[in-house]
Amino acid sequence: MSHSNRQELQALTKIVRATQGADFGSALQTSLSRRRFFLAGGATISFGALLAACGAGESTGIARIGDSVPDNALADVEVTDVVLLRTATSLEYNAIHVYEAVASAGILSGDAATLAARFLSDHRAHAEATSSLTEQLGGTAFTQPNPRLQTIYVEPALKLIVGDSGSGIKPTADPVADVLALAYALETIAGSTYQAYIPKLSDPALRGSAIGIGEQEARHAALIGSLLNPDRLVSSFGLSIAAQYREEADVPALAYAVPTSFGTLSPAPVILGAANESGTRTTIDLETPSLNSLIYED
Amino acid sequence: MTASKTNSAPPVKRPTAADVELLSAAQSTELAARDLYNSAIAAGAGGNHLASLVALSAHHDAYAQSISSLIGADAPQTRDDELFNSLVADFGSETVGAALAAHGLENSIVAAHTTLVGELVGTDGAALMASIVITEARHCVALATIAGKSAVADIDLFLVTTAVATTSAPSA
Repeated sequence: MSHSNRQELQALTKIVRATQGADFGSALQTSLSRRRFFLAGGATISFGALLAACGAGESTGIARIGDSVPDNALADVEVTDVVLLRTATSLEYNAIHVYEAVASAGILSGDAATLAARFLSDHRAHAEATSSLTEQLGGTAFTQPNPRLQTIYVEPALKLIVGDSGSGIKPTADPVADVLALAYALETIAGSTYQAYIPKLSDPALRGSAIGIGEQEARHAALIGSLLNPDRLVSSFGLSIAAQYREEADVPALAYAVPTSFGTLSPAPVILGAANESGTRTTIDLETPSLNSLIYED
Repeated sequence: MTASKTNSAPPVKRPTAADVELLSAAQSTELAARDLYNSAIAAGAGGNHLASLVALSAHHDAYAQSISSLIGADAPQTRDDELFNSLVADFGSETVGAALAAHGLENSIVAAHTTLVGELVGTDGAALMASIVITEARHCVALATIAGKSAVADIDLFLVTTAVATTSAPSA
């Protein structure tokens, strides 16, 4: 900072100190004298000069080490029908991974295992269908779980259920209930994903194919919801119906066969894992794939 | 499939004239479904799941209203009488029978509306119908449960979409 700038800053500091605690209301009404007017105006000009001086190129009083690295240009990518179909396929593989992991861990048995096997078979068929559509459009089918969704949702969720000694995560107290809760959320998000793609797909025929798969994911979710909440299959929340048909609870349950009147794109929360010292369990909010989890073509 | 590889061309958002016709038929179907549920409820069906049947009726009413919001004055605001009259006898006082009839109706509607989503040009209409189809598919599962069907032995009743020939839900 130059000598003149330092003087201006000192003058400004004096003005600020002189006006601290002043009764501006009465002062403005009674005696905003010509002299004070010029003083205030001078302070404004001086402060402006100070700012200008600080921003001048030749004034290098602020310490700086090295030069900043130029920003990386963002990749110029386009969300095409192929990208959406590849992402849908990747989500099917996320579901396939979950059901295969649950089967190999032997968590489910009896009817629950039978249903899970059916869901696994359906997701394999869906993956084949979306892969086939991808290739019909000239794209390359993606045959792996969505890496980002696997990292932020699937793997943490499975660790919360079966435990992970390496990171000190204890297995859940009720793995069957947790698997059903995870499957409910995963199937709900799968249906929501296809629903979300409808206005994004350019070809109406593709939209029909997509929602045809999406409604089957919704059926999976509904079946699990009917097992988790058999007494109340259709939620009353948000409906204009008579009071005697409404649920008494203040908040909706975590699962229903039919949770809403329209399919939503909102996150699906799932509570998993062992309780911590204060009795709290982990909540994971599953969301539909966003721009940073789409499967773009190389 | 003949879709272009890129989505760079701006999509048509608002319903086209052909879309309006399709959506009008869909609204009449929704109003018929609402009235069929109301017939069963008035006759005494529902049992422990009466509140769920009332909610399903409210859903179909909401779908009809949402279609009106989209196509405005073109909305017929009247039910499909042919569909209603062909099924109303099945929506009686007996809960299991009414649930099975409703299950068949919902399956047909899901099939018809899935086809409809594939034919609508405007994305506003397609997105709305997609959000309806997703929930109507869930209706099928709830109704199979109300009808007392086994989620294992009768699994296809819960998971497979089959159109029932007796309904006249629009095939677009």
